[in-house]
This record gives sequence, structure tokens and C-alpha cells, in this order.
Amino acid sequence: MELINTITDLLFGSDPELRQIIAVTLRMSLFSTLFSSLIGIPAGILLGANNFRGKRVLTRLVNTLLGLPPVVAGLIVFLLLSRSGSLGNLKLLYTVNAMVVAQVLLITPYITAMTANLVGVNAATINETLAGVGIRGTKRLKYFLLDFRVPFLTIVLAGFGRSIAEVGAVQMVGGNIQYKTRVMTTAIMMQTNMGRFEFAIALGIVLLLISLLINSVVFRVQKVTADD
Amino acid sequence: MIELKNVLVKAKERLILDIPHLRFEKGKRYGIIGENGSGKTTLLRVLMGTVLPSQGSVEGLKLDNNVGYLPQSPYAFSFSVLRNVSMTLGQTQNRDELAMEALNKVGLRSLTEARGNTLSGGERQRLGLARVLAVPREVLLLDEPTSATDIRGMDLIEALLLAWFQKTKGLLIFTTHAPAQALRLADEVIFLEAGKVVETGAPQHLFANPRQPKTQAFLSHWSI
Repeated sequence: MELINTITDLLFGSDPELRQIIAVTLRMSLFSTLFSSLIGIPAGILLGANNFRGKRVLTRLVNTLLGLPPVVAGLIVFLLLSRSGSLGNLKLLYTVNAMVVAQVLLITPYITAMTANLVGVNAATINETLAGVGIRGTKRLKYFLLDFRVPFLTIVLAGFGRSIAEVGAVQMVGGNIQYKTRVMTTAIMMQTNMGRFEFAIALGIVLLLISLLINSVVFRVQKVTADD
Repeated sequence: MIELKNVLVKAKERLILDIPHLRFEKGKRYGIIGENGSGKTTLLRVLMGTVLPSQGSVEGLKLDNNVGYLPQSPYAFSFSVLRNVSMTLGQTQNRDELAMEALNKVGLRSLTEARGNTLSGGERQRLGLARVLAVPREVLLLDEPTSATDIRGMDLIEALLLAWFQKTKGLLIFTTHAPAQALRLADEVIFLEAGKVVETGAPQHLFANPRQPKTQAFLSHWSI
């Protein structure tokens, strides 16, 4: 009961912090998923649907990046964006944008690999069918996108799930600054370290509820798209 | 006229196709027959440019919208059957109408709203043929176009192909296991074995008097 009161208070009480944290979390996760999908899905189609010299090397590289530890991604982005780094003049460190960059680095290989695996299974048949009616080269991209639209949504959702649950990289490049770069995961970690377990659990439940809500929306979109 | 010159296709060390010279003339129907693994599909893929020979060339075939190719297992996209056909028509104004007409010809009009990936193997072959026939073409390359259809579907497809040929006087090249189908559809039969052309000729003549022992052995399994 006390937990429910804490959650209600956090969500609808006078302190705007949680609402701010949710807003930053959603902004970061949605933008990083969007950019990762815009890069990862076409890249995955190119990788999965074509045979070219160096494909195996590229596939291995993408698969290796799947195992990139978030703190390493965070470190790379931190070094790039720090004052002495090559992108230091952009002054992005400890901003939501820096967190998005780190997330894109982490999620893009994931979306690329999943897309490549998905389209790779039927790529030869699809390519042959399309070539048979004169659709070749980059014109094929449209039909891969249309044909796999429903599983692509699942991949995007999985990317979003990774993004919203990630803590290491965003902590490093965001700095967990109150009202600025604090997100659900970094807030949970901080509350746990401070021994405020009930607060941390309440935040965790809110995080799960957000995930459930987004999943439900995407599921509905998938159903409508599949029936279309 | 299409000519294959010294075409050699190898997969690692295995010889898939070895054709020193082969000619296809416009206004004729060619049936390529042979057992599984004889190189029939590879020959069509070489013509389509989807398999590049390790040696040799194909001359006289411009791979544009005039050429239609139907793979043995055509892919049916997950969108509607109508869109599966209209996609071949580009920005043509009445493309839905033309697609509907093509679907009507292959007997799939009642399935226009169904999703392509829910079709059976035989329906997919008819859908593939509708895609190929929706656009006026001069050359058709068909890989076992009736391998997944029932007898009614086979009759329908054969009738459509004969009608297409009557109308266009184009070039029809198809592969088949069945000599009887070659007899019904082809002006000339090309018998392939282990990637090589063993014998060619008019089907009535070749099936009645096969000269080569390999052709005789193949035909002995069939009643024509």
C-alpha cells in the first residue's frame, strides 16, 4: 500500500522531478531509437540482401559491436565529446544529445544485425523475384521495407527496450544531472546507492509501466499494419 | 536472337553449366528439359544475369522491362495480392486495373485483397505469372512454371502461355521435368544433362527418335 502511495505521489504529487525524469527518459529513448532505426534498418537490408566482397568481415564487425559493453560506448562518446576530444567544440557532454549519441552507438549494431538476419533468410528468393520483373538495385529497398514492416516494428521496439533500460553509457556521458540528464535508470541506481529502496522500486515499476504502455501501442500498430 | 558463347558456370570446383554455344531465336518457344541438377535453372539465371558465368558471355539480351522471369518458387510479398502485381507496373495510371486484369487471367481475382504470404505454392506460381504478364514483354523466361500447380492450374498456365505467344510472337524459354509439357508448349527442346547440352530438336522428332543414350535413358522414365 505504501508503495502504491509512493508511486502515486511520485507521478501526480507536487514534486515535478519524476515527471521531468520520465520526459528526459522518453526523449532520449525515442530519439536514439529513431536515429538507430533510420541507420540500422537500411544498413541491415543492404547487409542481409546483398552479396558483396567483404560481407563476412562486415557481418562479423556488426556482430562484434553487438557485444559492445555500454560503458565502453559511453567512454568512446565521452572521449569524443570531452573538451579535449575531437568533437569537444560541440559542447554536448552532459546533455541529453550526448546520451542519444551514446545510445545510437549501442543500438544501431543491434538493429542492423537483427534486420540483416531477418531479411537474409529470404533475400535470394526476393531478389530473384524482383529481378524477374525488372526491379533491381536500390529500387528493391522499398519492397524489403514494405514486406518486413511488421517484424521491423518488433526490431524497433526491441531497440527501444534496450535504450530505455540502459544505464552505463548514459551515466557516463549524461552525468545524471537533476532536471537535466537524469533518466529512470540512473535515478534508480542513485536511489539504491542512497539506500532509498522503496523509492527505487517505485521508479522501477513506473519504468515497467512505461515499457508496457509503449509495447501496447506498438502491438496495436503492428496489428493494424499486418491487417492492412 | 540471344546467344550463349562458351558459358561456363562453376560452384567452387563443381561444374554447373558448360555450354560452348546455344542460340535462342525470337518467335520461338524453347523447352529446356533434364533431371534435377542438370543445370536448367542455372541456364535461366545466366540469361537473367542473376548468375554470372565464370567464363563466356550472353549476347543479344537486354535486361529491361521487355524481359520477364518467373522463378520456380516466386516470392509472395506480405502485402495484398493486388499490390503484389501492381508493383510491377510502376507509375502507370491504371495500374490497379491492369493488375486486376492479370489476376483475372490467372484465376486469382477472388484473392486480390488477401495477403500474398498466405497463398499456397500453386497460387504463388500463378501470382508470379500474373506479375510477369501484367506488363507487355517480348521475352519470357520461366523456371518450371507449373511445378506447384494442380492439373487445372497447369492447363490454365499453359493456355495463357500459348495465348501470350500467339499475341506477341516473342521468345518463350521455359524449363520442365516433363517431356509431355515440352511437347505441348515448345517448338524446340534442349536436353540438358550434368550442365551440358546433350541433344536439341523439335519435341515430336526428338522424343520419337532420341539419338543420344542419355536422352533415351531420361525419356524411358516418362510416358509421353
